[in-house]
Amino acid sequence: MAKYNRLTPDVADRLQAIVGKQRFFAGSAVKPDYAHDEMPIYGRYLPEAVCLAETTEEISEIMKLCNDRKIPVTVRGAGTGLVGGCVPVHGGIVLSTERMNRILEYDMRNLCVRIQPGVLLCDLAADALAHGVMYPPDPGEKTATVGGNVSTNAGGMKAVKYGVTRDYVMAMTVVLPNGEIIKLGKSVCKTSSGYSLLHLMVGSEGTLGIITELTLKLIPKPEKDVTLMLPFHDIATAIAAVPSIKLANLDPQSIEFAERDVIDSSAEFTGNHIFPTVVNGKEAGAYILVTLVGNNEQELLPKMDRLGEVAEKAGAYDTLVIWTDTLKKDVWAARSAFLTVIEAQSKLLDEMDVVVPVDKIAPFLVYVHEEADKQGVYIKSFGHAGDGNLHIYCCSNDLEEEEFKRRVKKLMDASYAKCTEFEGQVSGEHAIGHAKKQYLRESVGDTAYAIMGQIKTVFDPNEILNPGKVCHDLEGGAEAC
Amino acid sequence: MLNILCCVKQVPDVNLVKIDPETGSLIRQGVPAILNPLDANALEAAVMTKERYGGKVTCITMGPDMAEEALRECLAAGAEQAVLLSDRAFANADTLATSYVIISAAKELGKFDLIFCGKESLDGATGQMASQLAERFDASLLSGVLTLCEVDESKKLVTVERELENGIEKTEARLPALITVEKTNFHPRIPNLKNWKASRTAEILRFNSKTIPDLDPAQIGDPGSPTKVPRTYPPEVGESGFILQEGSPEKDVDKLFALLEGIV
Amino acid sequence: MKKTDYRDMWVYIEHDGKKIHPVSLELCSEARKLCEASGDALAAVIVNDLPQEELDKVLEAGVEKLIFVSGEGYETFSVDAYTHLFTELCKKYMPSAVFVGGTIAGRDFAPRFACRLLTGCTSDATQLIYNEKTGDIEFVEPAVGGKMMAVITVPELRPQVGTIRPGTFKYQPSGRREHEIIRERIGFPVDQIRTKVLSFTAEDLDDSLNIADAEVIVCVGSGIKGADALPRYRKLASLLNGKVGCTRPVFDRGILPFKLVIGQSGVVVKPKLYLAFGVSGAVNHVTGITDSDKVVAVNKDPDAAIFHYCDYGIVGDMDEICDLMIGHLEAKKTEDAS
Repeated sequence: MAKYNRLTPDVADRLQAIVGKQRFFAGSAVKPDYAHDEMPIYGRYLPEAVCLAETTEEISEIMKLCNDRKIPVTVRGAGTGLVGGCVPVHGGIVLSTERMNRILEYDMRNLCVRIQPGVLLCDLAADALAHGVMYPPDPGEKTATVGGNVSTNAGGMKAVKYGVTRDYVMAMTVVLPNGEIIKLGKSVCKTSSGYSLLHLMVGSEGTLGIITELTLKLIPKPEKDVTLMLPFHDIATAIAAVPSIKLANLDPQSIEFAERDVIDSSAEFTGNHIFPTVVNGKEAGAYILVTLVGNNEQELLPKMDRLGEVAEKAGAYDTLVIWTDTLKKDVWAARSAFLTVIEAQSKLLDEMDVVVPVDKIAPFLVYVHEEADKQGVYIKSFGHAGDGNLHIYCCSNDLEEEEFKRRVKKLMDASYAKCTEFEGQVSGEHAIGHAKKQYLRESVGDTAYAIMGQIKTVFDPNEILNPGKVCHDLEGGAEAC
Repeated sequence: MLNILCCVKQVPDVNLVKIDPETGSLIRQGVPAILNPLDANALEAAVMTKERYGGKVTCITMGPDMAEEALRECLAAGAEQAVLLSDRAFANADTLATSYVIISAAKELGKFDLIFCGKESLDGATGQMASQLAERFDASLLSGVLTLCEVDESKKLVTVERELENGIEKTEARLPALITVEKTNFHPRIPNLKNWKASRTAEILRFNSKTIPDLDPAQIGDPGSPTKVPRTYPPEVGESGFILQEGSPEKDVDKLFALLEGIV
Repeated sequence: MKKTDYRDMWVYIEHDGKKIHPVSLELCSEARKLCEASGDALAAVIVNDLPQEELDKVLEAGVEKLIFVSGEGYETFSVDAYTHLFTELCKKYMPSAVFVGGTIAGRDFAPRFACRLLTGCTSDATQLIYNEKTGDIEFVEPAVGGKMMAVITVPELRPQVGTIRPGTFKYQPSGRREHEIIRERIGFPVDQIRTKVLSFTAEDLDDSLNIADAEVIVCVGSGIKGADALPRYRKLASLLNGKVGCTRPVFDRGILPFKLVIGQSGVVVKPKLYLAFGVSGAVNHVTGITDSDKVVAVNKDPDAAIFHYCDYGIVGDMDEICDLMIGHLEAKKTEDAS
């Protein structure tokens, strides 16, 4: 990988001059956390230096310098990704946006908000609600940065009704790899004005440019919401109910599913026993959670009735109503804990974030469970039943790491092939990073994959921005640490 | 058939109450009113007992009209009847006056075998209601119940396990008994659609100071409350401690351990 | 009712026949101060017998009257018998105030006899002040989740009854005084006791739940993300030979048991080192830690009240700081080992 240069003392000095001593770390001063995201199984790569940027101008200066010296730059938000997207696999520097965490301005007339990319999703969501409006995208990881959400086009629970992050990005400021600053998009709702570079940036995982400011669409916040919990005998029956729920014309905000063993783990681990395990005398094996929104109780009532009927026909043991703030808090606290609980209870972990057509969720899960049994790893899964986006965790507590990786590779190869056969997508919201490149290529085909690579080169001729990610292949790579 | 009463309270979610830095007064606006969390555990215990032995659960609360919402929550979770004691004259009641109003109304509702209430409220947090209600109902008091072992209706006895400071006591008590429970085994349930819907339109039995017979005006509300709150004030805040600012969390921690030398 | 007809302040001496519960001695010392201000005599109410050396502790607190009560019905504690006893005793002797330790038993019977006497009862005061003008005791306590302080009084009735949590005050022997001994027989028919203890199982002493005497406490507050964040705090506590405690909201969220709640309505602690992670610093919690030797606070909000109660503060992410502290201690351990 002779292509890139290592960070020399003089470049380090210049970087330090740009961001200042307090926000520049090199060598042993770099925290080990910068070597990985939440999926360390894909390898740890420590950057040569970390810059905590605070302004667009600083980032522009950094890019000019690094582009000139051919030093790789990998942008990082909160590091909560799951595909190694923010990990500097070819070395160089990590440019962190964690300090760019200010909500700059609300424009209530045009219902939008301008923010820096390092604002945390939970902070934006809460702040918007306090302003009487809602930022609908709602990925499970609330401590991710919004910049990271845009870069992965994160979806989340409310996507069924409101769409994904992409649908809420109106405009952005981008620093190109050569340091040039451009503004994409406008605070308007329609455009038919040439290729949408804005949308190309969304979901590009920091490989085309660096987002330094965002204008996001907001909506008036719904007055009332209610979540209904439908316990089922097993996951297949639960998932089989989803199409009829979607057809019932309820416009749900989210349709989530959870399997019993994840619920049990979560209850055991957090002491939160809000999910009933026995319902009307019967052991529940899986749950569907449907959230409905409306302006008032009267508007919600007929929808709840209809859902109750659908649920009964579909074999739900009951329809449970999560109406009070206390119950909502408990249920969503349990739901939010799933990933953390799985992480905490498994020594080794790998994951898939596939999307399959809703009618293929159950057969896909059955297939993955069978394959996992063959490989001797266990599966924990939960996800967005409403849009077929599944979070499937392959775990082991007793295998050696190398053996685990070998077996999971087989499992993944088979599962992604199945996903493609089912006309699914490799990733719903966690993106590709460097972990899922092979499966992206197999899924989209060589031609499409090559076009992506060409687009990358147009933006980033020196290939310094987040190299080795999405569609960018290089021989070799930095030494994993 | 057991006749069970569950006494509940609607409280502001005090964790969300803020103080106006200018005036030092409480900002209650926008703070949701919720069913007192420990009352939800008490209600669950009441409903579980009813489901096991048969009977009827009545929930009762004293509070403003909006406390109706807390009662509907109880109905949804399995109570059969809800009673709201609401009157301006009941305002500013301490535990003595509140327990008096509750017993006076409860007499109209029949005789209760078991009375459940939360261990303490989120806002007042005196934890005195159980003891004083037991007195008003002339009932045995069983606080901190972990397990309801048995209710023997014919012998008029209840057996429970209680959690004490240093162990677990198995106690038998005569009915009527007033019970407070630990959270451990009584997780509030999520109501089903049928019960929830019924709860939204169920009739709530209402009493005010005129409709509770023979209510002594001297024993209710402010006049009936021997304890008074002559003043409140914001907590005194001392000087700030020494805040470490070494430039990075790592250095802060190193410095901290240096400062704690000899203690750690 | 004439308030001035009611004289003396009483402390109920809770004991098991061998030892006095520390809270009773703490209350004697604190009530002694009130009596200095009010001119009342301090009396201790003792049910059944007590070994001399334990009695001496009561007298050392400056008690001027010992009221010994005996009679049928007090062989074991029962709410029914004790309610009766205090009701009768108060009617006869008309004390101005009765202080009862805020133990499970105390909190069960004290409000009940206050109710029977139709007088006022307060619980969990953290400060007691005698107001010379009114002649009332001011029970000062945190209110509304510790957001403010409230002064509670019983201005028109007597006795003024208060239960106080163990550890709130200190036992400070102030020297013996002349003391009068009163012996009372108040029986309570055993068949009127409505509760019967069938058995008692001493808890498999889960030592981690006993934090009152811990020398180091790692306290997690409402800033904790969830129960899944707990292991690191347990680890830090074990590295420091300490125990984990929490604030009330953490209990309310079902993350830790009530026995670990530190503060006004929970346990009062007095460790050498108290580390607060994500603790906001509401007074109802802070009143439980005032006797700590060193207080360290970690909170991401630089304006958090806890920083006003700490010796050292770090503004930062509680999990991150905890991990760094674990790292530091583990590194030191390996260093020491090699």
